[in-house]
Amino acid sequence: MDGFVLTIWLVRIAFLVLLYLVLFAVVRVLLRDLRAAARDHVALGRLVVVASPAGEPPAGMSFDLDAVTTLGRDVNNTIVIDDPFASAEHASLTYRGRSWFVEDLGSTNGTYVNGAPIDGVSPIGFGDEIQVGEVRLRLDRGRP
Amino acid sequence: MTAAASAARGLPAILAAIRPRPRGRELMLLGAVAAALLVGSLSLGTTLAARPVLDTGSVPETVEPALADGRALATYLVALLAVHLAFVVTGRRTDEVLLPVVGLLGGLGLLLMQRLPQGLVTQSFAGLELGLGQVQLVWLLLALGVVGTLGIVVRSDRWLRLYKYTWAAAGIALLLLTFVFGREVNGQRLTLEFGPVAGQPSELLKVILVVFLAGYLSENRSLLTEESTRLGPIRLPPLPYLAPMAAMWAIALGIVVVQRDLGAALLFFAVFLALLYVATGRLSYVLIGVALFLAGSAILYQLFGHVRDRVDIWLDPFVDPLGAGYQVIQALYAFGRGGLLGTGLGAGLPTVGGRMPIPAIHTDFPLAALGEELGLVGLLAILGLYLVVVERGLRIAAAAADDFRAILAAGLSLVVGVQAFIIAAGNLKLIPLTGITLPFISYGGSSLLANAVVVGLLLALSDRGVEPPPPPRPAGRLRRLVGAGR
Amino acid sequence: MSTGRAGLAGSIVRTGVALTLAFAILAGGAGYWTVVEAQRLATAPDNPAVMAAARRLPRGLIEDRFGRWIARSARTDTGETYREYRDQSVSHVVGYASVIYGMTGLERAYDAELRGVTRADPIADLLKKFDPQPVDPSDLRTSIDLRLQRAAVEALGSDPGAVVLLDPRTGEVLALASTPTYDASGIANPATARATFAAHEGDERQPLLPRATLGRYVPGSVFKIVTALAGLDAGAIAPDTTYPDQPEAERAGLAVSGFRIRDGHHPQTGSRPLDLVGATEASCNIWYALAGLDTGGQALTETAAELGFGEAIPFELPVASSQVTNGGGPAPGGFSDDVELASASFGQGETFVTPLQMALVAATVANGGVLVQPRLGLALTSERTGTREIGASPSARVVGEEVARAVRDAMVAAVEGELGRQFTAGAKVPGVTTAGKSGTAELGGSGEPHSWFIGFAPAEAPEIAIAVLVERGGRGGERAAPLAGDLMARYFALKEEAG
Repeated sequence: MDGFVLTIWLVRIAFLVLLYLVLFAVVRVLLRDLRAAARDHVALGRLVVVASPAGEPPAGMSFDLDAVTTLGRDVNNTIVIDDPFASAEHASLTYRGRSWFVEDLGSTNGTYVNGAPIDGVSPIGFGDEIQVGEVRLRLDRGRP
Repeated sequence: MTAAASAARGLPAILAAIRPRPRGRELMLLGAVAAALLVGSLSLGTTLAARPVLDTGSVPETVEPALADGRALATYLVALLAVHLAFVVTGRRTDEVLLPVVGLLGGLGLLLMQRLPQGLVTQSFAGLELGLGQVQLVWLLLALGVVGTLGIVVRSDRWLRLYKYTWAAAGIALLLLTFVFGREVNGQRLTLEFGPVAGQPSELLKVILVVFLAGYLSENRSLLTEESTRLGPIRLPPLPYLAPMAAMWAIALGIVVVQRDLGAALLFFAVFLALLYVATGRLSYVLIGVALFLAGSAILYQLFGHVRDRVDIWLDPFVDPLGAGYQVIQALYAFGRGGLLGTGLGAGLPTVGGRMPIPAIHTDFPLAALGEELGLVGLLAILGLYLVVVERGLRIAAAAADDFRAILAAGLSLVVGVQAFIIAAGNLKLIPLTGITLPFISYGGSSLLANAVVVGLLLALSDRGVEPPPPPRPAGRLRRLVGAGR
Repeated sequence: MSTGRAGLAGSIVRTGVALTLAFAILAGGAGYWTVVEAQRLATAPDNPAVMAAARRLPRGLIEDRFGRWIARSARTDTGETYREYRDQSVSHVVGYASVIYGMTGLERAYDAELRGVTRADPIADLLKKFDPQPVDPSDLRTSIDLRLQRAAVEALGSDPGAVVLLDPRTGEVLALASTPTYDASGIANPATARATFAAHEGDERQPLLPRATLGRYVPGSVFKIVTALAGLDAGAIAPDTTYPDQPEAERAGLAVSGFRIRDGHHPQTGSRPLDLVGATEASCNIWYALAGLDTGGQALTETAAELGFGEAIPFELPVASSQVTNGGGPAPGGFSDDVELASASFGQGETFVTPLQMALVAATVANGGVLVQPRLGLALTSERTGTREIGASPSARVVGEEVARAVRDAMVAAVEGELGRQFTAGAKVPGVTTAGKSGTAELGGSGEPHSWFIGFAPAEAPEIAIAVLVERGGRGGERAAPLAGDLMARYFALKEEAG
């Protein structure tokens, strides 16, 4: 056995060993995360349709909310409001940190919270009612 | 008060809100990755330096340690570190595992490209003549830039979730563009040229597909899980909601027929089925999808020569060992030469007498090249690294705040995992070979950049701090257009 | 209405598990190719690594049974190695090892050993990585006797044909000649390879075809030995079986399913019904047709299969598979009807055989009904491992000893009997009881028939079995039989010389 072959193989095997070292370090991190995780997820909130003269969405319908929810006539919206007085992109609901905000997206007829028109972004609490066109929706807590 | 602090006061409030946050795990893992890559480069460089003597059948008397293009590796490692520092400075709470793991895979790819004949790919750039390794380095640096940028900048997913049909339209437009204007290479119409740069749109398309599917499935999830149709023992959702599945199937078949791109079709359809399952939890969809796939495959096998060729080569490449089966056989020989520990980096045989036994080794067969030089032990490590990426992505998905993010993150990680599986299985003759790239390792700008987008988005999605509110302020028109919530 | 995110997390986990399983399959595939199949792949002759090594490393010697070299390595001025072969008589046995045209023959069969890269197990493979000199070429000693090999090729002369001479007790092949032969040295030498190969490939006499192993020929009467073995073994005929209507049928033809099989020669036997010995001695087609019909297609193909028909005989060189019938016919054994069966029984049906297969038929009779697989390699010798004998060939009993004895007696009569001497003049080895059967394979149309002879000697304790085929060589008794007699005589002379 001579010097070159031995040396080069030591380097080669060191490389393979280091690959596994990285892999083991990564797996250790993964396992630690795994233990820390396992949390129950509850929807952030839900919107219940209180009144809907045009019937789309029907009254009584309930939507589980994502962190960003948009409302309007356009099909690209999370909740499509098929109401003649709603704009294509009417309003958005966003969950930031610990609370909900409603934002008018420049609609023609405006967005109302508990009957009062809003300007730009406005915080909103559970139990509050939002009006988009002639459709009224109530923000409720998400069910577990 | 220092000058810097007073300068900071002048910056917009958003910057003021940024607090640097150390990322200890990432740094530790990156250190290990750098050590591994340096030793790898040492192994490669020393072997290559001794190669002239080794090739005559004798052994050099002295060891001359050398790095294989140490400057390129140093540049790459510095870039990795820079991305890490950028994350630290901006205080993002993103995942700390993905960057080192993907960085190691990219580094392995860099070592491999440095090791293959440099003339395989050449690109003139600003008067410089760049070879395979250097071109790959440039793409890797760009890819790291994409990862860093997306990981830092993306603080809202609104621009992804709101415009799903726009994304779908863009994807279809891209596909049509390729159909019409694509350059044909080996009978496959996969490449679009923009001036001097050629790209493979299917790489970008896979990201768009996942974004669209995440939007569509998260919205229609409850409808898709409702059952209204029964077909014997199989419960089916309302029939109209099966239409997208049929459309997807048709598109996949179209890609095979028109573009002759079996790999992309297989990838798209597999990811589609997996996401459908993730969204609905219904195995019947997967079974129907697999049945459709088998039926489609059978028809394509009957009708199209190129499909039949691929399958026949797969079943027995030794029927035509010097023609159609050549690459596949040579890949198997490479695995066989590798054995348990491999020949060592740089000691393999990608060229024989100046000829390449595997012409597409840098794009389609990097796993065979790595298998030869790192052996089974190295292969298992590489497969493990891909699994880590997938596991990490799925974990981000499971912890996501809502359905859209969950399906998006799952889709992004599955795209990487399924693509790695398809090409690895093709190399190993477990399934017919399809010409797609091995993520992060294969040569190619489109592949590296598209996978960088995937990683960047996964990082952004992993940030549980995306939600904290910027101070509410009046919505401007521009802000709505950009859609980023900052 | 919402199923809740918990369900989604569940399906995400299950998808992850599925993908993990898929990757486990990948790992299995990687292990299969890099460990389980590594030996075969890494030493495959057209593996580029193997070809690259072949360019600069010498291969081991190939020797005949007495240690005379047959193939050796030489070097060009640039240090690349190439093969030299002793003479053209061994070309079809040894083959060639060429950088350009790959490998054939024993060079291919024992390539890994001759190069010395063969690996026993993954651990040894690991250790070898630390070894500066990774190859250990072995010398291969073969069973060929170079003198008999040369004699066989010379005897065939300019006629295309084949000779197989082997020891029925061990299966060791002493001579395996195919003519015309070719210039293996010319193909192996890079300087002359292309020109030599092109010339041989363009030659319509097909010098590159190893007729002894890959040539398939109509056997004619030599196939009667197979019929006799099958009939006796099945109990359908006995050594004293006679057919009263056989003499008449010789004149008028034998009606089989409305078709008339004609024979019409050997007036020497008169109107006496023949038994096994008589029918073999006179080579009576009618008797054998009747015996074959009694035996039945099933028993005939079964015995033939046990003799090696129907698949490639296990051997170091590629062997074409011999057939009794095309198969697929509705009659038992795959025959299309009794007419085909009757014709096949005397070797004129859809029967095609290799000379090696017919040599094994003779060897089985000689060896008392036991077939020993043929072999060429005897031992491997290398610097590190010393000499390793290549294990004895497997053997299997095909027919009972008394069946073999009865057929042997018939074959002795065919050479030494009063009538036999007329038909197969010259097959007799002086001073040694010789058994054999000639064959004249009619090919239809004009042109000479193939000339066949199979046999063995000494009949009471056989040491050698032989098959001779001369393409378009005329009657078996005229060309093949004397050739076989001379070669067997040469064997005994050489044996006496050696003491």
